[in-house]
Amino acid sequence: MADRVALHLWFMRFVWLGLCLAMIFLHLLPLDSTPKGWAAPELTLALTFAWALRRPEYVPPLMIALVFLLADLLFQRPPGLWAALVLIGADALRTRAMRLRDMPFVAEWLHVAVILVVMTLGYRMVLSLLLVDQAPMGLSLIQMLMTLIAYPFVVIASQILFRVRKLVPGDIEAMGMRL
Amino acid sequence: MAKDRAYNGEYTGPLKRLLIGVLVLCLLGIFLIWRIDSPRVERFRAQVVDKVVPSFDWAMAPVTGAVNILRDFQSYQRIYKQNKELRRELQQMKAWKEAALQLEQENARLLDLNNVQLDPRLTYVTGVVLADSGSPFRQSVLINVGARDGIMDGWAAMDGLGLVGRISGVGNNTARVILLTDTSSRIPAIIQPSGQVALIEGDNTIAPLIDFVESPDKIRPGDRVMTSGDGGVFPAGLLIGQVAKDPTGRIRVRLAADYERLEFLRVLRSYGRSSISGSGGIVPPTPGQDENITATDKAGEDGDG
Repeated sequence: MADRVALHLWFMRFVWLGLCLAMIFLHLLPLDSTPKGWAAPELTLALTFAWALRRPEYVPPLMIALVFLLADLLFQRPPGLWAALVLIGADALRTRAMRLRDMPFVAEWLHVAVILVVMTLGYRMVLSLLLVDQAPMGLSLIQMLMTLIAYPFVVIASQILFRVRKLVPGDIEAMGMRL
Repeated sequence: MAKDRAYNGEYTGPLKRLLIGVLVLCLLGIFLIWRIDSPRVERFRAQVVDKVVPSFDWAMAPVTGAVNILRDFQSYQRIYKQNKELRRELQQMKAWKEAALQLEQENARLLDLNNVQLDPRLTYVTGVVLADSGSPFRQSVLINVGARDGIMDGWAAMDGLGLVGRISGVGNNTARVILLTDTSSRIPAIIQPSGQVALIEGDNTIAPLIDFVESPDKIRPGDRVMTSGDGGVFPAGLLIGQVAKDPTGRIRVRLAADYERLEFLRVLRSYGRSSISGSGGIVPPTPGQDENITATDKAGEDGDG
């Protein structure tokens, strides 16, 4: 019984890893090399936050760090900084997961929004303090907003497709029984 | 025991906290090392890209191909109209071809008269575009030729017609081309026929800015922009595009290369440029140098005129 639970846990971890790698892959496709006036949402981030709030055990910190470090390297971003911020943000959500469980979705969305804004501002602040060349402010704001808009859809998709939903008291008891 | 802890990630134990702390410190450490010793980390990045992206390639080529076929499908709807347009264009092209042939013969005769030797080292390697930068903030593409094929940092990449960008970051099997539209791209250029020297600065739009022009009023929209080879880091005489004015009145380049579909890129071999090592010190003015500079400037202007 315990084996099956462990197997399912690792299966879901690899589902998350596979989804993230697939999104990185889609970003890298050389479909259009002209600069665009807008930025696509960062779906890997939305997915990670949505899952960190619902089932933190599916997104272990080590995997978050590795995936986002890889994304930093592949997308020509300063390596490490954004990954560190994502890790901190996901951990902040993880600790609030208990309290947010009984609250409506809007509260969760607001929480995510606040964390995302703080992350984006912190990112830009550190970069400007260290005199690193930066992307235009407008583009990063657009990307942030798009990620926030995409967040509910990511949540719905992961609830329907992958059954990643918030734990209800019955679940914990069932899990406890099994353990 | 350890297994149990893995299940109830709900209860964030101090061990987990410690792990996250250590991970964050490691990531920030990487970032700081990158800030301090960027070339080394960038080389590491090139190696990672070199390992990761070619392993995606088996999937990338078919997916890109499928999307492009879908896009082409839309153009089938207006194929008849397009056909007529093409015929008309072909007619015009024939006239141009005739003119070009005559010019080519004349050019060959003149070159022969002058006994000009073209630089034999200006040959090229052709590569296929593997991936783009993947982020809206950076404009670059990855091509499938690298150090293995003798590619070096700083070489120019063109499509059939115009300059596309320069090589920056070479892995063993791949190399990154920073496009002219990237915010970090600066290319010295000359604008013909007025002979004004300028700098082409990418600003994340499709038409890069033309900056540092001495007298902008001598420049007309439609003038040709070529690389000038100033500073010796880039081969001279490569076509960049045409001058255009944007609605706010700033002058920009309409690029000659087709940025909508970059598929094959030519990388021009250009040896003999001085390599950049170290951050460079301050050059103090030496007495007597001023006259030299003005003298060469004058000579340059005379040559242009």
